[in-house]
Amino acid sequence: MAKESFDKEIQFLRMLLLTSGAFSRKQFAERLGISVHTFDKTARRLKDILLSIKKEQAQQDSLELNQFTRFNYYETSEPLLLFLFRAKSLKESESYRLSVLLSAMQEQALSATELLEVCNRLFPSEIVLPDEKTIRSDLKYLEEVGVITREPGGRPIRYRLHNEIITQLTDEELLDLYDYVDVMANTQVPSVQGYMLRDNLKKMVKQLHPAPVFTERFLYKYHFHSRILDEAHLYTLFQAIHQKRKISFDYFTPRSGTKYAAQNTNPLFEKKSTGRKEHVLPLKVIYDHQYGRWYLLAHKHGKGMVKYRLEGITQITEEDVVSVDVFMQQQEQLAESIRYSWLIDTGRPLKVKVRFFNPDGYQPNFVKERVSLQGQWGVITEESDDSFIYEIMVNGITEIKPWLRSFGSSCEVLEPAFLRRDMIKEWKEILSYYESVRENL
Amino acid sequence: MNPFEKIFNYQIISRLEESGTIAITSHERTWLKTMLAHPAARHAFSEETLTKLQGILAQVEPYDLSGGFVEKAKSQEKQIYHPLLRKFRGILVRKQGMYITYQNRNGKTHLEQRGFPYKLEYSMVKREWYLLWYHFRIKSFMSTRLQHVFSVREHPVSSQVAQETIAIIETSLEMRKEQAVIEVVPAYNQELTRILYAFSCFEKEVEYLDQADTYRIKLFYLEDDREYILSKIRFLGTRIRVIEGKKLQLRMYESAQKALLRYGISMRNPETSE
Repeated sequence: MAKESFDKEIQFLRMLLLTSGAFSRKQFAERLGISVHTFDKTARRLKDILLSIKKEQAQQDSLELNQFTRFNYYETSEPLLLFLFRAKSLKESESYRLSVLLSAMQEQALSATELLEVCNRLFPSEIVLPDEKTIRSDLKYLEEVGVITREPGGRPIRYRLHNEIITQLTDEELLDLYDYVDVMANTQVPSVQGYMLRDNLKKMVKQLHPAPVFTERFLYKYHFHSRILDEAHLYTLFQAIHQKRKISFDYFTPRSGTKYAAQNTNPLFEKKSTGRKEHVLPLKVIYDHQYGRWYLLAHKHGKGMVKYRLEGITQITEEDVVSVDVFMQQQEQLAESIRYSWLIDTGRPLKVKVRFFNPDGYQPNFVKERVSLQGQWGVITEESDDSFIYEIMVNGITEIKPWLRSFGSSCEVLEPAFLRRDMIKEWKEILSYYESVRENL
Repeated sequence: MNPFEKIFNYQIISRLEESGTIAITSHERTWLKTMLAHPAARHAFSEETLTKLQGILAQVEPYDLSGGFVEKAKSQEKQIYHPLLRKFRGILVRKQGMYITYQNRNGKTHLEQRGFPYKLEYSMVKREWYLLWYHFRIKSFMSTRLQHVFSVREHPVSSQVAQETIAIIETSLEMRKEQAVIEVVPAYNQELTRILYAFSCFEKEVEYLDQADTYRIKLFYLEDDREYILSKIRFLGTRIRVIEGKKLQLRMYESAQKALLRYGISMRNPETSE
């Protein structure tokens, strides 16, 4: 059986979160490159997942996916889209069996035979009883993902839950751990596994401090919720980079109309995929904090260095391994070419020189504070009472320009001259957008 | 490492929750081990707890992201975990009041003020923590950098006072809500996702006008966020236009006018220079 892919769900959730409410079902489906029927099916499936893990919300039976992505900032800091990673399909009997096994091993260490007895005792008649071979293969899987561990001692081998990070901590330590995991999952990348751990710890903390005592204490302002969607592909890419392995994928440029192409397994209905097939050697993954987006930088035969947005990458397949020399050479070249990238621009490096103006009066100097916080490797070269000069070597001006413009009249571009001219032109245009507002006053 | 492991499946998770079982994977332990190596961990745990956690995770290999991963345009991380978070946690969990000594934004110190803590807020942009609280004497909702809190001690309040204060805070937050409508200039529709990403950290609704092939983003935000929204609007430049929201429109007008003055261009006579 082909490996289950979640590309459709990822694109679906991304579009839902970004375009909240903009499109009808038909428009939404068209843009995703799926049929309205598939749209409905995907929506229903995601809603089912959401309802089964958010029981409180399930009571309000009117929960709509659309409303769900309109978050109320002060109510909760739950990761909105984490439920995507709970979407793996599983037979009812398997999910039942695995949870019975785990619950039994939480109480005491048990062998495969003993677990079989537990199943005999607990399974309702409508669910098929597993045989010992099935249980052994379940145990093998659970040991592989690290949720259970072998007890020391001889045969028969007994297994118990591998959750010392919960059982060996005091209540107070557990609260410390919950808070730390919450903070780190929200402020650092990658974070999906951190959010999973947060979910687990939260259950434990809630058992210790039942509602209404348990409250969300921390809020994260200006947080990009969609950033975790692209973590779906992250480990495949990290692994390929680690193994120096080429990959291929269907790429949908973010500017193209559709985001996804249905994979029809029946050749009679096979449509030509609208994505572009890419074969590359992946070199580096970049996370851009400005927009909360991910990029892959890779080497492509005959084209040199190519940049991809992770959100456009679907259907990744692993290919051949390249030699260490080839890989190292490409990585060094890449490191050199992004050394001065504000984000990922690999254009010609040039010096940008600007004057920042300090705020009037006795206010705290928030301009300088922001420049030192966000100005990356740029330096302040001159300072006077009312202004300071900031200089930076940067690849091209495209990526730094929005940042400079965001300072409004607190920033004057000095060099290069063409950037100065650009800035003037843009401010004139922006002024023209609002002239009528002024006139209407 | 596959983030879509079947152990994460929603039916399993929901069943485990019913039976009170907690199953932690090696993925989660690996992540935790990586995060414990961060200097912030020293502020979050006592030495004893940290040693205990490191002992439990001794066999776990942390991620090695060097070489394959890089973060760009990241603000300097002044602060991730503030030591006062632990102190406030107790007060917040017990829903109690406090005496707080802090410095305001102009540098003036206020001694032992009676207040009620509401939430702790981390700004992903400024990369620092703020305490959101209610100041009893001046009857105001406050936001104070944890960096500017010098001392805090718990002061008991009745559960009725706690409830009333939370209600006052929530009403005041509600009253501070503003909204604005931003239109994507249709010539830039191709850059729609970039623009939507930029606003994805706000509560919003998007409208698509089919006939005109135009996108409109209605933003809901607190007045305190206005400055940040303005910086985002300036960031996106000519791609977008504020079409509803007088305050934002006027500020954008002033901003453009003053920016041009920096280049010696007066808006009354825009052709005079450069």
